Amino acid sequence: MSQEMEFKNIVAQYSKVAPEEMTNEMRFREDLGFSSLDFMSFLGELEDTFDIELEENEVMKIVTLGEALQLLENLQ
Amino acid sequence: MREYYPLTAAQKMHHNWIVDYGTQQVSGVSVVASVQAELDFGLLKKCIQMEIERSGCTRVRFTKPDQEGNVKQYIVKQDPRDIELKDLSGMGNLAEADELMQQWAYETFDGDNIPMCEFTMLKLPEGYNGFFVHMDHRLIDSCGLVVMIGDLFQLYTYYKYGTAYPQELADFQTVLKKDLAKAGNEKRFAKDKKFWDDQLDALGEPLYSDIQGPSVLEAARKRHGNPELRSADIEMQNLFVAVKDYHLEPGATQNLIDFCMNHQLSMTNLLLLGIRTYLSKVNDGQEDITIQNFISRRSTHEEWTSGGSRTIMFPCRTVISPETDFLSAAYEIQNMQNRIYMHSNYDPALIMEEMRKRYNTPEHTSYESCYLTYQPMPVKVENEMLGTVRQHAKWFANGAATKKMYLTVSHTEDGGMNFSYHYQTAHLEEHDMELLYYYMMRILFKGIAEPDMSIGEIMEQI
Repeated sequence: MSQEMEFKNIVAQYSKVAPEEMTNEMRFREDLGFSSLDFMSFLGELEDTFDIELEENEVMKIVTLGEALQLLENLQ
Repeated sequence: MREYYPLTAAQKMHHNWIVDYGTQQVSGVSVVASVQAELDFGLLKKCIQMEIERSGCTRVRFTKPDQEGNVKQYIVKQDPRDIELKDLSGMGNLAEADELMQQWAYETFDGDNIPMCEFTMLKLPEGYNGFFVHMDHRLIDSCGLVVMIGDLFQLYTYYKYGTAYPQELADFQTVLKKDLAKAGNEKRFAKDKKFWDDQLDALGEPLYSDIQGPSVLEAARKRHGNPELRSADIEMQNLFVAVKDYHLEPGATQNLIDFCMNHQLSMTNLLLLGIRTYLSKVNDGQEDITIQNFISRRSTHEEWTSGGSRTIMFPCRTVISPETDFLSAAYEIQNMQNRIYMHSNYDPALIMEEMRKRYNTPEHTSYESCYLTYQPMPVKVENEMLGTVRQHAKWFANGAATKKMYLTVSHTEDGGMNFSYHYQTAHLEEHDMELLYYYMMRILFKGIAEPDMSIGEIMEQI
């Protein structure tokens, strides 16, 4: 499974939107229905799954799926 | 072969209260769910029995405590039991029936390896019918209960009226295993511990702030013979709790919601700001305030539908100067809460343990007097078949408060909000709650009307 697909599958655990319907422009809160708690829990899940360290100040700026994916790629 | 599991951090929180206060009563949770309609009690009984099969958390039992008081949990595969039907329809009105159910809510589950969940079907006055469920909080939290009750009514309407069969619930045992594995992840644990330790490194020992002002801390300082003491005593004997509810009208509620929407704030953080500003006001402008905030750790579909006790409280500590404007203060709290969310897998007992180690915090003292739960979920059962049928759902306090003041804020059917203050009668009176609610509202509405106004000015003007 590609990293992008794995990422979207994790997102899908928190959202009603199916992975195949997700686009990079989708916003976590407005389009995917994430609450603040969902978003922060999701970031923790990303850290554990992809073995990365997220900077708390950086992640607060993330709005869209594409931005999160980009950050994930940059950290690997 | 039966599998035994340790308690999760959220379950441990309740378990520790049971041990500390010496009664399971502090861990009781009770609710009545009823509709103003005839019910087929034979079918309802079948649906309750099916729900016990579907919701694994209802079948959790605990082993006998070991020498340190620790227990393990296991899930019995089947838990066949009869469900009693009680006829209270002869009582004068619903309020009288509620009074009786309130007494049931005080009852305890005493013993090891016994069911910690009890359903009773009810015929109620005024044409209402339904059931009362009494459980141990180590099995389920309020969000879990709302989901479970909704599932049960869906089962009923499926069999009775052919509506859609409820969606499968996530397996409690599977989610429990995942949670325990997450808690056992050393890397994650180290990150979470660092977050909480860094806060103490940066800010030092917290400082108690009481709803009744600085005299409470002063009294604790005298009692302990330590003029520098920063924590105050917790009531350990008289746990009797009284409840005072206040209803905020729909229009005013909408103003708060709109402010949150327009400024990308969550209601929890606005409420935390209201409480902390009140505490600051009555404690001579104290800037360093900590409030315990309950987080319902349900984000994924599995977490939402697996039942269980996932609600856990963490200290939300902020140091806000009186010059800070209202909106910036709200963002400061939000920033802190977001960071706490990221580290909410941690066991909060370890935070207290660290503080005891660093500051020799005396036993049975605390840095917080206020506890907040914000429940965005309606208690009302959502079911297409029930449509406009009137419902009567009510949560009953377990009657034994481990906390001095515990505020639950929830949304009401009319679009308003309910502020439910549970307070220990050993130290607080209804008048204290009146003051707290009055000033919280003054602070919040002054702040949302003039978000650029400083916290200091707001405290002066209200």
